[in-house]
Amino acid sequence: MAGRAYSGAPMNTGLKRTHLYEWHVKHGDIVEFAGWEMPVRFSDIREEHMAVREAVGIFDTTHMARFSISGPDAVDFLQTVTTNNVRKLRINMGHYSTCLNERGGVRDDLMLYRVGEHEFIWVTNASNASKIWGHLQEHSSGFDVHLEDWSRRVVMIAVQGPNALELLSRMANTDVRSLPRFSCSRMTLFGQDCYLCRTGYTGEAGGEILLLDTPFNDEGRRKAIEFWERILSTGEDLGARPCGLGSRDSTRLEAGFVLYGHELDEDTSPIEARIPYAVKLKVEPHYIGYDVVYRHKKEGAIRKTRIGFVMVDRGIPRQGYRLLSDGNEIGVVTSGGLSPILGKGIGMGYVSPGSVDEGDTIEVDIKGRIRRAEARKWPFYDPQRYGEARNQ
Amino acid sequence: MSEGKKVVDGLYYSKDHEWARIEDGVVVVGITDHAQHALHEITYVEISEVGTVVNAGEECGLVESMKASSDIFSPVSGEIIEVNTELEDAPEIVNEDPYGRGWMFKIRPSKLEEDLKSLMTSEEYSKYIAELQE
Repeated sequence: MAGRAYSGAPMNTGLKRTHLYEWHVKHGDIVEFAGWEMPVRFSDIREEHMAVREAVGIFDTTHMARFSISGPDAVDFLQTVTTNNVRKLRINMGHYSTCLNERGGVRDDLMLYRVGEHEFIWVTNASNASKIWGHLQEHSSGFDVHLEDWSRRVVMIAVQGPNALELLSRMANTDVRSLPRFSCSRMTLFGQDCYLCRTGYTGEAGGEILLLDTPFNDEGRRKAIEFWERILSTGEDLGARPCGLGSRDSTRLEAGFVLYGHELDEDTSPIEARIPYAVKLKVEPHYIGYDVVYRHKKEGAIRKTRIGFVMVDRGIPRQGYRLLSDGNEIGVVTSGGLSPILGKGIGMGYVSPGSVDEGDTIEVDIKGRIRRAEARKWPFYDPQRYGEARNQ
Repeated sequence: MSEGKKVVDGLYYSKDHEWARIEDGVVVVGITDHAQHALHEITYVEISEVGTVVNAGEECGLVESMKASSDIFSPVSGEIIEVNTELEDAPEIVNEDPYGRGWMFKIRPSKLEEDLKSLMTSEEYSKYIAELQE
């Protein structure tokens, strides 16, 4: 037997650890991810997955990078490097966006939070942290902006699931249910100075917490672990469970969210990735890559398009497998796995534009075994029963 | 789920973490406790059809966990004569009982004596996985 499962096992030095590592290593299984030693699971990925869908899951997301961007030119600068409409982003709100290269390919996707008239927080993927930091440095010359890397002094924790807002309300000692989706509010949680963002990456309601003033030293780590443990104990009766990267990936896949290195890369535009809400065309100044996404969005000049699919036959799709239609190759799988909710293999991938409609039967080449799948729009779960918009 | 250290005496082991047990001239094959523990949460098992002829070391199936897909290699050459169909609906049996009910397929071997020379004994395999974990 051989496969990728073993690649994460032995640890090399030189990998980064979050403030919560000491807790993770005691309670979970550690793997290497994007240069970090992170917990892949604390108990069982499916159990953690179901906690997110039916109760509340707690994720350490401190490995993601957080950059502070401030100064009189912050809006103009950010509009040159991101595709959503920065000018329209209200204070105490966040939006999903992308950062492009000159060819309209995605350098990274990100959450941008406006925390003041001239103050923003950019949250970006761990795998792209140094690339994006370099990109921001390079393109900020000539703008009156100040860039700071907060990644090492702000801990980030996601609280996700149908019971998440109840748990966050307990932490805040006030009802946070009225906070709108995508809001980002400075508030005290367990007596600590935080930003509470009503965002997440699982499809469920909840929040992402930035725990401020948490330097990467003994005191900061102690503070972070105390905070983490208090979330778990406060949420115990709500079914709160610590969750690792395994369920982070399985929940985002089931929700149909794109992941950098899978659905997004430097050769894929956000229009091809079908994340049009991250891209605005009525913006000033035009951002890097604007002309390409303009053509993709306005003229439909795309080279490929993202699809979702659910397996009809047995089998689990994985990144790199070929997608076929009546035996002809039409594209490639970018993410795949088992959906714990459906009990079936699900996946996303890219196909030639117009080659597949929703409901069509396609085939997946699973290591030489040709298996049928049905093209389906995400999310893959029933949105009446699961996810943020479920019937309460 | 066990801790992944169990090795059963009297079986033969491959470097790819399959085990082989000889029963009345037929070879029963599965994956080791070490393998199931490393994979965790096995969600899917698929073995090539009955009647397939394989060479020792050749891919003849796959195992899926929540995180990854892994190939199964046949430790011996021969013809697959039976596949454990119980695993289709309950692949987690491999996690629970890798050397027992979690067996994967049976092979009628074609050159057993020669193939066994390249497999490890339980003592050798114990040493092998201990070294991997260092």
